[in-house]
Amino acid sequence: MEITVTGLNAISNPHLHAWDWRVSLYLFLGGLSAGLAMMNSVLHVRKNGRLAEGDKASISAPMYVPIILSIGMFFIFLDLESKLHVFWFYLTVQPFSPMSWGSWGLLAFYPISIMYALAMFPENKRSLLAFRQLQELSIWMSRYKLQLAAANFGMGLFIGIYTGVLLSAYVARPLWNSALLPIVFLTSAMSAGAAFMIIISSRKQVKLFFTKIEIWMILAEMVMLPLYFYGQYIASDAQRESIMPFFTFNHEYFWYGLAMLFLVMILPIALVMKYMEITEEHGEELTSAALFKMNLSALMVLAGGLVIRLSFVYAGQLSHL
Amino acid sequence: MPKYAMVIDQRRCVACMACVVACKKENDVPPGEFRTRVVEQTEGKFPELRMELRSELCNHCDNPPCVYNCPTGASYKNKENGMVLLKSYRCVGCKSCVAACPYDARYINEEKGYVDKCTFCAHRVKEGKEPACVATCVGKSRIFGDLDDPKSLVSIALHQNHSEVLLKSVGTIPRVYYIKKFSKPE
Repeated sequence: MEITVTGLNAISNPHLHAWDWRVSLYLFLGGLSAGLAMMNSVLHVRKNGRLAEGDKASISAPMYVPIILSIGMFFIFLDLESKLHVFWFYLTVQPFSPMSWGSWGLLAFYPISIMYALAMFPENKRSLLAFRQLQELSIWMSRYKLQLAAANFGMGLFIGIYTGVLLSAYVARPLWNSALLPIVFLTSAMSAGAAFMIIISSRKQVKLFFTKIEIWMILAEMVMLPLYFYGQYIASDAQRESIMPFFTFNHEYFWYGLAMLFLVMILPIALVMKYMEITEEHGEELTSAALFKMNLSALMVLAGGLVIRLSFVYAGQLSHL
Repeated sequence: MPKYAMVIDQRRCVACMACVVACKKENDVPPGEFRTRVVEQTEGKFPELRMELRSELCNHCDNPPCVYNCPTGASYKNKENGMVLLKSYRCVGCKSCVAACPYDARYINEEKGYVDKCTFCAHRVKEGKEPACVATCVGKSRIFGDLDDPKSLVSIALHQNHSEVLLKSVGTIPRVYYIKKFSKPE
């Protein structure tokens, strides 16, 4: 078959070029902040808050959430063609548009994550807060720790799912149009959140606690990803075709094949490393070699999350009905 | 209220591209961007070849994914005539509608910074004229009119011929119909 088209638009021909690495980074950082928010709540609720006591992450992690989210939002802002019109997101509610309820959700996520960070600020460190009003707010918020932890967890769950729904809502793009995609993105977000906690926490118990969570999250990813690809393969012709860039190891789809190889290698390696970390005998303190291995495997998980977002955003635009 | 639709009689298209040019001129479409296109698709093995000439444009769907996915309400379905239109002042250029359209009918107007698409030449229709592509079509391949008016050219064309829509299974309910075969052109 030979096709000649007069009237080609570069954005949609020969395939869609609407979104690029900026959207991938937004989805990754949005997912990471969502996962981190969920892990924060778990840390502060676990053992009635005793696990979090004395760990640097108990203070820094809640503060990282709005910072990481802001960096992600900055990248999506860069992607907008009419940046000065951005206020229109907040002058309307479009119930059928995931991007609309996502932008409202993000607006709610900010104050909750900031209030949560203030509430979890330890009593003996409150003097570090710059303004007296902030210190008073922190004291007042600390009365509602449990409620805020629940709200923070819920918002993290919402944003984690939203990053996947954003893509899965497009019937025109068969790779994205799967109900499993939000779950894949959520597990990846939670996994990234646990990995980040492992890196920033200071106490052995906290690191090992999140290592255990990480193992389950990696296992969940290793189940969800094949299920997603299987679901696509046995569905319609367009959906089967849509996953082919990942499995066609030729020059045209080189990066997608590489991404698949990376994920196939990185997830089991990270899983084995994490398993070894919890079965290994550690002394009172973690040795520098053990710390290096822990951080390395956590970084591998974060890289896996980024590769998933990058490859899915680009490959989805190759797919069409 | 009129229910506007377009019929493309592919048997009458000669791929002169006059519709593409007329559309660009009428709507001041920037260089390198198009609201309508003509697909020339050749199938078979020489000498037994078959060529399909197919004009494509926004389908002004009754179930428009671009409208559902628009986060600001910039894309909307006109309740009076069923056209899918755009309030450019509300468009943030998130490209959600571009990704949502199964017909790849939208593009970014780089000069103006918002998404753009075929409007069935709403400004001309308001004045009682046909869209520019229809008015200029030398083979009378493009037909425009009111589906609710049984005497309109689109109603007659659809009544007398077998017609199809693009990607029917997606459920977008397009308002651009294609006449491909079965009966001879008048």
